[in-house]
Parts: sequence; C-alpha cells; structure tokens
Amino acid sequence: MAAETSSTEADFITVRVRLSAVLRYTIVFAFIAVFVFLSIQAPAFFNGSNLLNLLVNNFALLALVSLGMTLVTSTGGIDLSVGTAIDIGSLVFISLVSSRHSLPAAVFGGLLGALLVGGFNAFLISALRITPFLGTLGTLFVGESVQQLATNGGQPIYLITGDLPRGFMEIGRGSFWGVPIPLYIVGVAIVGFLVLIQRTRFGRYVVAIGAQSEVALYSGIQVRNTTGLVYLLSALVCGVTGIILSSTVKAYVPLSGNAYLLDSIGATFIGTTLHAEGRPSVVGTVLGVLLLSIVTNGLLLIGWNFYWQQVGTGVLIFLVLAVSFLGRRARA
Amino acid sequence: MDTSLTALGDPIANAKGRRATAGWPSLLIRAGSLFAFASVILYFAIAAPAFLTFGNIANVLEQSAILGVLSFGMTIVMIGGGSNVITGGIDLSLAGNLGLCAAVYASVLRDGQSDTVAFSLTLTVGLAVGLLNAIAVVGLGILPLIATLSVMNICAGFELVLTQNTVIPATSPLLSTLADNGPLGISYLAWVLLVLAVILIIGVEFTPLGLRLYAVGAYREAARAAGLYVKSYIAASYILSGICGAIAAVLSVSILNGSSTGSGAMLLSVVLTPLLGAVFSRRVVPTITGTLLSVLFIGFLINGFQLTNVSSYWVNGVEGILILLVVAATSLVGRRES
Amino acid sequence: MNLNREGSVLAMHRVVKSFGGVRALAGTNLNVRAGTIHGLVGQNGAGKSTLIKILAGIHEPDAGSIEIAGQRYNHLTPHRAEKLGLHFIHQDRLLIPTFTVGETLFLGSEPGVGPLPLLNRRRMKRQAAETIHNYFGVELPGAALIGELTPAQQQIVQITRALLRSPSVLVFDEPTAALVKPEADRLFETIQRLRVQGLTIVYISHYLNEIAALCDRVTVLRNGVDVGTVNPREVPATTLVSMMVARDIDEMFPKKVAKMGEPVLTVKKLYHRTAFADVSFTVRRGEILGVTGLVGSGVKELIRSLFGLIHPDGGKIVVDGHPVHLRSPSTAVGRRLALVPENRRKHGVALDLSVRENVTLAGLRQYSRFGFLQLAREAHDVDELMSRLSVRTPHCTTAVRYLSGGNQQKVALAKWLSHRSRLYILDEPTVGVDVGSKVEIYRLIGELAEQGAGILTLSADLLELLGICDRILVMYRGHIAREFSAAATNSDELLACATGAEMTTRAVND
Repeated sequence: MAAETSSTEADFITVRVRLSAVLRYTIVFAFIAVFVFLSIQAPAFFNGSNLLNLLVNNFALLALVSLGMTLVTSTGGIDLSVGTAIDIGSLVFISLVSSRHSLPAAVFGGLLGALLVGGFNAFLISALRITPFLGTLGTLFVGESVQQLATNGGQPIYLITGDLPRGFMEIGRGSFWGVPIPLYIVGVAIVGFLVLIQRTRFGRYVVAIGAQSEVALYSGIQVRNTTGLVYLLSALVCGVTGIILSSTVKAYVPLSGNAYLLDSIGATFIGTTLHAEGRPSVVGTVLGVLLLSIVTNGLLLIGWNFYWQQVGTGVLIFLVLAVSFLGRRARA
Repeated sequence: MDTSLTALGDPIANAKGRRATAGWPSLLIRAGSLFAFASVILYFAIAAPAFLTFGNIANVLEQSAILGVLSFGMTIVMIGGGSNVITGGIDLSLAGNLGLCAAVYASVLRDGQSDTVAFSLTLTVGLAVGLLNAIAVVGLGILPLIATLSVMNICAGFELVLTQNTVIPATSPLLSTLADNGPLGISYLAWVLLVLAVILIIGVEFTPLGLRLYAVGAYREAARAAGLYVKSYIAASYILSGICGAIAAVLSVSILNGSSTGSGAMLLSVVLTPLLGAVFSRRVVPTITGTLLSVLFIGFLINGFQLTNVSSYWVNGVEGILILLVVAATSLVGRRES
Repeated sequence: MNLNREGSVLAMHRVVKSFGGVRALAGTNLNVRAGTIHGLVGQNGAGKSTLIKILAGIHEPDAGSIEIAGQRYNHLTPHRAEKLGLHFIHQDRLLIPTFTVGETLFLGSEPGVGPLPLLNRRRMKRQAAETIHNYFGVELPGAALIGELTPAQQQIVQITRALLRSPSVLVFDEPTAALVKPEADRLFETIQRLRVQGLTIVYISHYLNEIAALCDRVTVLRNGVDVGTVNPREVPATTLVSMMVARDIDEMFPKKVAKMGEPVLTVKKLYHRTAFADVSFTVRRGEILGVTGLVGSGVKELIRSLFGLIHPDGGKIVVDGHPVHLRSPSTAVGRRLALVPENRRKHGVALDLSVRENVTLAGLRQYSRFGFLQLAREAHDVDELMSRLSVRTPHCTTAVRYLSGGNQQKVALAKWLSHRSRLYILDEPTVGVDVGSKVEIYRLIGELAEQGAGILTLSADLLELLGICDRILVMYRGHIAREFSAAATNSDELLACATGAEMTTRAVND
C-alpha cells in the first residue's frame, strides 16, 4: 500500500471534512428552510401577531423545560421526570391559590413543590448512585401515583375567574410593553442558562462531568454535589413552567406535564447535532425548540390537516437527525 | 545504562487485592426481590379469596397480554443493544407502533377487507416500522433513544391521519375468536401471550442466534472479535420488535373492539418491565422469562388492588418504587464488588 | 506449513504506520520462525502494540507487507487473520462477563441438539470443562460466569478459545500483567507445551526474565524500528535494555538546586487492610521523594490513599502541620494536594475538552469572581503557560484528544500549576512520553520543587528516579523495605530491594 495518498484521495478526504463541517449546521439550515417555506406557503405565518402567538404558545413553555433538560444532559444524565416537576409545581400552586393564599406564597409553594421532585431525583442519583434514566423513571411513576391519589383519580382543580388574586392572570397572559410576560421569563431563563453553562465555574464543572466524569473527580470537583444540583435546577425551571401553564388555563390538570417530556428530549438532542462532539448546548436546544414550534404552528396555517402535522414534524426531525449523524460519521 | 523495574522484575502480585469470587451479594438481591414479589402475591391471596382462583389468573393473563407482547419486543431490543440506557438498545416507538397498527387493522376491516388481508397489512406495517428503526440506528448511526423517539412521532402522526382522532370500531371473526375462551377456559388472547412467550423463550434463550444476540448487546467488541456481524443482529432486533408491535395491536383491537387512542401511556411500563425482569435472571440481564414474570407481576398487582378495593392509583407508585428498590440494590452491590 | 526462504512462518516487511502525523512504525521488520517462541520487547511507544494490531487486522499499514505461510498481503482483516491461523490473546480480554465459560468457548460454533438448532448447554458445559482440563490440567466449571473468575482463569478461557480454533500462530500480549507467580509459571508451562505440539508463539512482554526463560529469539523495537533480533539466552538482560533505550543520560535530568524546607506531608503508620501497613515517611518543601515497587507492593494504593481515592484503615496523614482526613479527591485538592494520574487518557485529561478548559479545571477558583469566569484572563494565562511548556498546538481551544502523548501529559501537569499545590503526587509521569517531552517534564518538576512544593513521584523507571529524586523509598509486599539517598545508590541496589533480595525493613523517621 502506497505511503502517500493519491491526490484524488486527498481531495475526497478534504471534501468529506468540509462537507461534515457544513452538515453540523443542518439544524440551522433546516430552520431557515422551513421558515422560508412556511412564509411563502402561508401568508398568515409571517405575521407579527402570529409569530408572537407562536412564541408564547408553542415555544415558551417547551423552551423552559428543554433548558432544564439541556443542563441535565450536559452532565451525561437525563431527566424523565420533567413532567412530574411541572405537574407537582402546578398542583401546589393552584391548591394554594384556591385556598386563598397570596400570590407570592402560592408561587413560592409551587416552586418548592417542584424542588421537592428535583430533590428526590438528586437523592436517588447522587446519594444512591442510581443511573439517571432509571432514577427519574422511578420518580415519574411515583409522581403519577401521587397525583392520582391527591386528585382522586385525575380530577383537575379549576379556579373561579372572579375569585383570583391580583396578578394571577398576568403570569400567563399579561404583557409588559407589548411583550407577553412568559416571553420575558423565557428570555431571562435562556440568558440565565447560557451564562450558567458557559460563564460560571459551576457550568464548567457541569461540562467537565459530562465530558469525562472521572477526570472531573480527579481534578477535585465535587461531582456528586454538582450532579444533584443539576436535577434541582431542572425541576425548578419545570416548576416555573407549571406555574405559567396553570395560570394560563386557570387550573391544574393532572399528568398534563408529560406532554413536554418527549419534545424536550427531542429538542435537546436535535440541538446536540450543532456541536462537533454532540454536546448539548443552550443555543442548539433553543434552535431545536424553534424548529419544532414553527413546524407545529406553520403546518396548521398552511392548511395541512392537523393530523398530517404530526407526521410532518416526525419526518422532519428524523431527516435532521439523519443528516447530522451522517455528517458525524463522515468525519470519524 | 537504563534499568526499568518492570523490565527486570518478577511479576509478584499480591493475592489479597484480587477480585473475590463474588456471587453472594447479587444472589441476596435476587433472593430478596423474589421474596418481595412472592410476599405481595401471598398477601393478595390471603386478603382476597378470589385472587388465586383459576378464573382470576386467566383473567390476569388476558389483561397482561398486550403489555406482555410489547415488552417482549422491548426486551429483544435491549438484549441486542446493550444495557447503557442512553446509548444502548431501546425502542420508544413501540407504543406508537401499536397505535398505528391498530388503526391500520381497524380501518382495513372497516373498508370491508377480510381478516387475512387486514392481518397481513398490519404485520407489514409493523415490520416497516421496525425496519425504519433498524435503518435509523444501524444504517444512519443515530442514537437509539432519539431514533426511536422520532419514529414514534411519525407513527403517532400516521395513526392520527388514519383515525382522524376518533376510535375506529372493528369487529371480525378473528377478533371475536380472540376474545373468546379457548382451551382450558383461558381466552385466546392469553394463549397468544403464552405461545409467543414460549416461542421467544426458546428462540432467545435456547438457540445459538439468541446467544449471539446477547453477545452483541453485552460486549460489542468481543462479539466482533468472535466473528459476529454485529449490525445484522441489532437490525434484526428492531425488526422483531416491530412485529411484536403489530401482534400486540391485533390483540388490542380485539379487546377494545376498535382502534385505540392514548396507547402512549403504556410506553413507560413497556420500558420498565424488561429492566425489572432482569432481577429474575442469574446474570441480572433482561430475559424473556424475566419480562414475562414482571409483566405478570404487574398484572397481579393491579388485579390484587382491584380485588382488595385498593385504589388503582397506587399501582404506578408501586411500580416506581419497585424499580428504584431493585436498581438501588443492584447498584449498591455493583459498587461493593468494584 | 509453508515457510518462506528464511524458514519463517510469519514475517512483516518494512511496515510503516502513522497516526495523524505521529509515526508509530518507521519500517519495522519481524521474522518469526516456525515452531519457535519469538519474543517482542520495547518501551511504551516503541511500536509493539501498533505492530500487533496491524497483524490482527485492526489497522492497515501505510507501507510494507505481511507474509504468512509464504503468501504476501498488503493488509489483513480480523477475519482473514483468523482464517490464516493467527490468534491473539489480547491484554483486554474481550470476554463477556455475563457469559459462562461454556458459552464463551463455543460462541460462534455452538454445538446443537441433534438436528435441531438449539443450544446444547449441557454439552457446552461438559466439553468446556473437559477441554480446559485437557489443555491446562485445571478444573474450571463450564457453567461459571466469566465475571466471577480470577484474571488467570479468564486468561485460561481466552487461550482455550483460541486453541479450539486450531491456530498456527498464537500471539500473547503482556499475558502475565495480572497474574500471580504460580499462575504465570503455569502459563509458561502451557506455552512450552504448545511449542512442542508445533505451534508458533509470539510473546510480548515487559518482563525480560520471562523473555529469557521462554523465548528462542527476541526482537527489540525502539522508536518504531526493529533494532535487532537476538537469542535472549545468549545475551544478558542489560544488553537488551540498552537496545530498548539508547539515550544520553547526562542531559536528561536537571541539576537539583532546591532548598529543603518544612515538612509538607507527613505520613504516620498508615495502614490499609489489603494493601499496605506501617507506612511512615515525610516529604519536605522543595524535596523530590521517589517511591517504587513491584505490582502488589502497595505503592499504587498508597498513592491513591494520599489523594482521597481510597480510605486507609489506620494511621495519620498530616499536611502542612494539620492532620487531615482525605475523604475524597475534592478534600485533597482543598488541602492543596495534586495528583497527576497514571492513566492520562482516562483520568488525567478530558479528551473532548479544550486545552484551556483542561488546564484550569482544578484551579477554576483563581479565574472566577462570585462564581463567574474571567475568560479573558484565563485565556491569557493558559496561552502563556502552554508556550512556556512548549506545548505545540495551534490554539489552546483545540480538544486535547488531538495532542501527542507528551503534550497531553504536560496539560495534565499544567492543570495543577495554576492551583499552586503544596504537594504534587506524580504517578508514572513520563510513561508513553517521547524523549523530548520527558526532558521538559523533568525540568518542570525541578522548577516546582524550586518554588517550594514537595514532590512525591511513583515510577518503575529506576534511572528516572535516580535522576530526579533526592530520596527513594522502595516498597515490598506492603511495607517500606528501605529508604535510599538517590546520590548514594544505584539501580541494581534498588532493584534488589524491590524484588525482595534484601529482607531488612527499616522504619523511616524524619
């Protein structure tokens, strides 16, 4: 076998390397392509009020949950109980409001409830060293039971419109200077997580644990504490989600949080295609959520049958993943 | 002149620091779990006289059929894919596959076709889903977790298109027969579960192919070094899983007399039962037998709750606590031995 | 069997292989005569494992050819290698822990039950036990799980599996690394018996006494080239060693100018149930203390207990005058201890993180205020540090994975520099590192001592210890056998002490 590669072979290798570098940005291209497509096909899409609606209804809550998921997957773990944290937060929040507590107290209680779920996860994973998939799966199951028992079989708790504390409606539906409150919250969360992961010591520890946890340990990082904290943070942001959600619908609907689980996993892992080694990232996740949101919103406006939308979303995600993973293969 | 200690020394090793022949801690865990399972059954047997009657057991078998068949598919994928749950084998599309196949079956029947046509089409769809998974995981190299997740979305989507978010009613000779009682007074649904279990147990635990599947999942490099074509086995596991989805769909249509909505709720139980079932095997790996036993256990649990008038809302929680106990115990054991 | 002109059943001609610009093999030749035991020796990084991987079909050579039974091949695949009768007893056993002995032996060629395609487990179990008994005279139950066997038993299974496939050449890669002496002896018996039966054996090992006892001929690799093939029984071990390493000693090691100060680490009667007992010594500021011993002497466990990775069962550790209980590496780091671990790719550097991220990992507090990182200052300091260490890398933002072994080790060391540790524990600091980088690392170690840190270095390279240390502790079977002053001893003395020739044990008081 010749020691030098022929020139055509060298060209081929360069093309492959360049191609795979480009393929990393598949998700960006996909987003732009879909956005343009929808804007052309549905005049109603590229419209201020629609886009705003899209952001609030499709994007905001999923983005919040996915941010927590991003943090957790950055340590190499996963959180299957995000729905549980959303629901428990919502449950406590609505219960406190319906029993005439003040709004701040109710919010505080809701967040505390969600933190309890996170704390349970942290205990299982950090203290008992249970693998995150199974630990959070267990929490999910236990949480389902808790909710069913607490609500006598899944009865939602509805609030009477006239009887609400001041500010309640604002959380989900209010706006400030024309921008809906949930968007502010999401914006703060995105910036917060971005800064947390990229610019703080804690974030660096998280990334190190996700990259090679033994190296993190040998460098003196408190791996178990950091890992536990990550699940608490994820649960916290899910609690916020639950509060916004129940403020919007003025109720607590049991087990409704689980709808966010699979999409947040999907968005986060689509986002990993952005990074050369498949690391989760805030930017990637946000793009993933955006992609999912515009597809859900846009296909409806085009007039696609609502049911074909699901197929469309599924196929699109599949294609994005296929192209990115092929790209990664080409480089290896 | 340079000397290196390792170059000139003797390989005197300290016998003390070596791996002791471990076996008893994991035996303890397994014995403990089996004891726990047995005592729960015993409790129900005492608390509810109707529990251990033949008719009731047959009832439980029937109720567990769908979960059982699906779990068999998941078990096969987990065996071939390996135990690391994020990068290893998992098939999240099973529940979506079930829904889609059920919709296909029901709508084909509704359009006036015979059982044979409907069944063949359904089987084809299940196979296609399995094939799609196989291509995604083996051909494209996508992580099984997200590959099967996105296929699940596609399945759910197609299901909605077919059903228009309604339930499609369906009746047919096959469906009625299934719901009937067969030999020994046990319904054919239960027989399907048992027969399939026997076939798969033999196929997976007692044939060379099955052994090689285990090898591929346990240590891919070693399997390759032994000359196995790893990719074929992994692909085959997803295809088989797809077929299981199709079979479970037919059972489901029989029970519900139509297509279903909301089969997604079963997904988590389908993930849980093979993992829980690992505790029934000496090597603490997923097995068909173990899965069958844990599916039946869940079935008996639900049934027992019903008979003793305990709210069924406890079921999920008990499942969750069970898996946590088993996993905590096995991970504690694992840490001690390392 | 077919032989080529020289009577070789296996030959490799002028094999060249590079990995990403680093040349692992630079025209290596190997000639193995039929029915002999042929040894292969060389330092880490000399190219042994690359050569064997090419033979096993895991890598393709860039140039050169492989000749088996008279037939020439440009490259091999695992399948072809096996078909040609080449079988390998790898260091990483590639055995499945949850399989039984019987299943492992017959995976891929399972016996059936009559005409049915079923697993005949009973026959597998029985035949496995019989076969092993026949080959090795050892009783191993066919139903035992691989994970429950000792390393020696696992190796027996590994070898049996290879033997069942009628090999013509069997390659052993560091087979005695995890064996106790009686087990190793039994392995040698087996190998010699196999030779009598007509098998050709290639034997790779670090242990020159084994090579001398077993091999008919031995090839020495150095820097990717075969520097000679000799009869180890006619050539003294020291000659072999000098063939393995040819370098000018004088310029390797820096002059020692550090002033010794207060004790930075004092260990009193440290005791660990299964590894060591009655260990006491002191390391001063500015001092470089070496520690060495064979596998099983307790040195590794001692190092690990000084960093909180394992917990001693008795005794005291005092750092800077304060008694400490090292519960975890994070406690140790908090006490200003630093560890550069032996397995650099697994424990020393995070391969997928950048150089910058790795270097500051242990000392991030320095670069953070109120928890926020000062990225600009971090980048500046790291770049400066790296150029001072002559780490060749385009930017400090490249992943460490792409660096050479020597540069990776420098990153692993640099990690602690920003942390200003009081005591550096170095576990085999120059293993797998090229000579140029070794010199730089020695210089760095000297600088650290000059700046007032204490250094505790574990190494199997006696000359390295003699070159950089002030004192050397030799451990034997869990105790400190003797303490030497580096200036007043030589490698023969150290070696004799480590292998137990001198049984005097002296407690070290300082």
